[in-house]
Amino acid sequence: MAPSVNYHCPCLSSAATPPPPNLPSSSYSFHPLHTLYFCEECDAVRCNRCVSVEVSGYYCPNCLFEVPSASVRAEKNRCARNCFQCPHCRNTLSVVPSDPPDAGDLTSSTIQIGSIGEPPFFLYCNYCRWDSAEVGITFEKPTGLALQLQKTEDSAPDSLEFERLKEHFEPFLRASSLSASTSHLPSTSHAPHTHTNPITAAASSALARDIPGVGKYNPSLGRSGGPGGGGGRSGRDRTANKDEMPEYRSRVQIGGAGSGGDEDADLMRHLEVPAEIARLEQRWVSSWATSLQSKHLKPLRIPLHSKPTKRCPSCRHILIKPEQKAQSVKYKIKLVAANYLPAITAHLPHAQIPKRPVALKSSVTSSTGPPAAEEDTAEPTMVAGKTYPFQLALTNPLYDPIHVRLAVQRAPLPPQLQSQDTAGTTDKEKEKTRRPPFAVSLPTSAFPIAAFAEAWEYEDEEELFDEDGGLVDKSSPAKDRAGKGKTKTVGVLEKKANCTVVGGEVVIGREGRGDVKFNMLVSYTYRSDDPAPSDGGEGDVEPRSPTAPKAAPEMKTFSFFTVVDLGVIVPKDETKVE
Amino acid sequence: MSAPGTPRARVAEPATPIPARIGSTVQSSPHYTTTRRHSLYGTEDRIILDPGSRIWKVGFSGEGRPRDVMLVADSQHGETSLWKLTRLEGDVGMEEQERMLEAMLQDRLRAVFHDSLLTDPKSRKVIIVENALLPLYIKEMIARILFNNLQVPSISFASSHLLALLGVGRITGLVLDCGYLESTALPLFASRPLFPNLRTTPLAGARLTNHLRALLLYFGEYYPPLTSLGGSANTPAASHPKRVPAEILTDAVMEEIKMRCCFVGPALDDAENLTGSPALEADSSVELEVPPSDMSIEDSEASHSPSHRASMDVDMASVSVPSGSTSLSVDAAPHVRQGEAYLRKLRKMYERNSTATNLAFKVVPPPGSQTGTGRGTLIVPGWIRERGAEVLFDGGDVDESSVAEVILDALLKVPVDLRKTLASSILVVGGTPMLPGFIPRLHAELIQALTRPLPSPSPRTSRARNTSTRNANKPNPPPYDHYASIRPLAPHIAILNNPSPDSSSATGVVRSSRASAHAGKAPAFTPAVLPWVGGSLAGALKIGGEEIAREKWDEATGGQDDEIGPDESMEVVDERPRRAPHILPDWSRAPLLPGAPPAPRPQQLPAMSQQAAVGA
Repeated sequence: MAPSVNYHCPCLSSAATPPPPNLPSSSYSFHPLHTLYFCEECDAVRCNRCVSVEVSGYYCPNCLFEVPSASVRAEKNRCARNCFQCPHCRNTLSVVPSDPPDAGDLTSSTIQIGSIGEPPFFLYCNYCRWDSAEVGITFEKPTGLALQLQKTEDSAPDSLEFERLKEHFEPFLRASSLSASTSHLPSTSHAPHTHTNPITAAASSALARDIPGVGKYNPSLGRSGGPGGGGGRSGRDRTANKDEMPEYRSRVQIGGAGSGGDEDADLMRHLEVPAEIARLEQRWVSSWATSLQSKHLKPLRIPLHSKPTKRCPSCRHILIKPEQKAQSVKYKIKLVAANYLPAITAHLPHAQIPKRPVALKSSVTSSTGPPAAEEDTAEPTMVAGKTYPFQLALTNPLYDPIHVRLAVQRAPLPPQLQSQDTAGTTDKEKEKTRRPPFAVSLPTSAFPIAAFAEAWEYEDEEELFDEDGGLVDKSSPAKDRAGKGKTKTVGVLEKKANCTVVGGEVVIGREGRGDVKFNMLVSYTYRSDDPAPSDGGEGDVEPRSPTAPKAAPEMKTFSFFTVVDLGVIVPKDETKVE
Repeated sequence: MSAPGTPRARVAEPATPIPARIGSTVQSSPHYTTTRRHSLYGTEDRIILDPGSRIWKVGFSGEGRPRDVMLVADSQHGETSLWKLTRLEGDVGMEEQERMLEAMLQDRLRAVFHDSLLTDPKSRKVIIVENALLPLYIKEMIARILFNNLQVPSISFASSHLLALLGVGRITGLVLDCGYLESTALPLFASRPLFPNLRTTPLAGARLTNHLRALLLYFGEYYPPLTSLGGSANTPAASHPKRVPAEILTDAVMEEIKMRCCFVGPALDDAENLTGSPALEADSSVELEVPPSDMSIEDSEASHSPSHRASMDVDMASVSVPSGSTSLSVDAAPHVRQGEAYLRKLRKMYERNSTATNLAFKVVPPPGSQTGTGRGTLIVPGWIRERGAEVLFDGGDVDESSVAEVILDALLKVPVDLRKTLASSILVVGGTPMLPGFIPRLHAELIQALTRPLPSPSPRTSRARNTSTRNANKPNPPPYDHYASIRPLAPHIAILNNPSPDSSSATGVVRSSRASAHAGKAPAFTPAVLPWVGGSLAGALKIGGEEIAREKWDEATGGQDDEIGPDESMEVVDERPRRAPHILPDWSRAPLLPGAPPAPRPQQLPAMSQQAAVGA
């Protein structure tokens, strides 16, 4: 697995610091940069888990028809035109005419999709060859299929039964709401939020409470037999209908429909091929007892998609606004974090040894003492008890140069232990887990990243960048690397255009295991000249000095957390060194 | 004040409920006949969310079926359900577990609104179909996410059992919800859930899956894919069945086997028949369907299930260890585990009682041995298909009643006057009853439990008579019969949504007229979706339960846990879940209405419209 850098969005917890990266839940707080947004008003990162989403338009993903929101509701978020899905493989179905009676196969297939064809049209799946004639669905015209199917859907048994249920309950509710409004006392006592004297409430509710077996006197219900009727009748009748609810008579009784009963059990008992039974996903949306068999599945209308508008959850400013047209993939407003935060990529040089085997590798391995065996382990893993360099490449998206400072977040436990310590003290498992399995060192001082500019502007600036380094490093890596050796793995390694590569080092404890994953605070200082980047100063000679021509009030700092995941530690006993 | 908009808005606010009230009272208006488009954009429709531990059903009120059904378990990490019956011990583990759950819930809830329903959550009231045993912390989590993250205007929680009853047009009945983690029986009278009489058992979908997996590991056969496509090169190894590798029985495969292969056969022969069988005579007890060794294997499986992550792998490992040590011929195994012995007894018993065909099931071969071509073949024996679900009907355990016993236990607890009414209006909902034959079998089990002949007391009593003198003049105590007091109810037992009410009358019990008037008379909604349909109905009738408005929530929570926390507050990491305010109504912490019986719900029926008025 390649090393990754994800960015923190603080929406999940109120704490300012991100959760420790070794918790599994922390993965929900970190996101890849390209999924994040940036609110300029709040000056904060927003993620897909916290932005509020509104629908700015609906469209069918198949025919790309924009559906007005008024009809979305009536069509139940489905395409109301000719778009259907195969119930078996979810492929899009196409409308085909019946075979003309006697024409040659060749000619009929060429004109099949077109308008000519024999009247009984049906839906056909090009992938699994299912066609809707199998379930008895054919069409007279090749257009407006959904409309033709609508009639059967409207008279679907579940919706009819549902309406009947509503009619069944409405008189009852009407009666009870009437009684509640006329007789004031019981209703107020039962409504949980009316403030009455608790004593009267208690008394009235005690009076009004239902005694099992004794029907409540309720004149508005027109209870047959009246108030005295309950006691006088035979035992069976008395208990038959105690809840004062008239018996509901189903339109279609499940006893008659038979699904799920003995017939289906018989079908299952003599089943030969499991595929004859529809899968769970194919059945679970249907609320009506239907056949188990997959050959009875009906074509599905294609669900609509929406074009969402995304807003900052706190200031309501729009972060994402797509263009209205379904065919367009552009945005009217697009405030993505990638335009504001430096992009960071991580990689492990030792993992890339096989790719570029020349000078770099040899210099690294010779200079740093321990990793002599490193050449053997070509795979990008890290062995416990060793030290590895890693590189972070930061790319500046801003039109201004920035100064970046990196800091590893201190773990809540005593951090930064040397590997010797861990090895010395740990015999018990507890101790091992308590020790941080690795320690990370990063350049502590701020380093500059040049401004983003169009590609052609970089050519002649190279020297300028080289000159004004002023910091720990020179930018040509190969020369210095050999001379300075180990110190050079930590620090700025390379600067090129708006990208700066810094090196870090991770020391893995002998008993270390798990992932090398740490939180890193990135703070960058930029010159805030307000929304409009007024100066054309990409070619500015010294963009990175804090003592820039325009000084303190113009500088702004933004900090954000990232998690760097370098990979898995291979326990030491697997590959014993020396 | 300079804001004329404020009074206007205030006028408009009560105006919204009034048409609603009129609509519900003045029935003759054409308002409801054109209900299909009674609101153009449908913002009046509520969102009905039925959040199970494994499967969620979502949709709009007033519709007959959910818009979308989704599997919410984190299957990438081998989880089979969002939450489990157990929580991790200790602060650290539990907090982490809660954070995980909250993050996943947030994912799913956002997906509900943005991917499935494609609607703006800020304009939609939500009705949550709430299982009676939905843990409070999950309930609060859901409310917190809906209010803070999605900013819905109001939430109401409605009991799933009650909603299921509404879905069949009733307000009184005994509802068994047989879901994934638990089966819960709850009696309801006149729309009041009798929560103190609730009974529950962990025999449900998850247990069935584990049982099926264990059976398949022992008795299934696996044919690896051909090693090469060349016809002559087929090694004999490919044609011989192998033991089922545990890795192929992934959760998805198990679910598909459950769905496409399994069903529930008719009741096994009565206990005497089984006691005579040589396999089981060792441990003959009164209810012989459960030999005591049952506990061991079930425990060994169950004890792993709460383990935090990858419980499935652990499960399978624990089961597969013996199967790995024993070779293909199980009989030659040097040490036969108790569980295995038990499973073999089961097999003998089940095989005799099954006529189902064996099925060949195509499975992806385990990743380790990707030598072959294509897919392997798993043979699912017919008896496993038919009798795998027997585990749900195995009773006799005090802690884990069978699904039939849990109904009877609930019946035992309800007041005597209600028993007959409730016994003849049993409703079975949930995903597990979707197994073909489940409900008729459940009916048969209920009858059988109530009519099972008592063990003849003769030997013991005669001995007692001879030996003990102090009891000589007293009548012998009758043998203990747990269900003695409800035995007379046997003719009245009726399951409302029994798909074959007539076939199950072959149990010899003459059904009472009331029972036959009720059995199978429910509308033909599927058991799994019934609570959702009831919720949709309740939403359409505007009786969705007590509403909690967002203002109230914000007030109670102090509006602090807004989505964007104060960035600089360094102090709190874990205070957030603790701040759960007690404004969510729940029966388990019901402040009893003074003087009233512990049933606050039914009065909400009339109060509902007022609630809506206040909230709107």
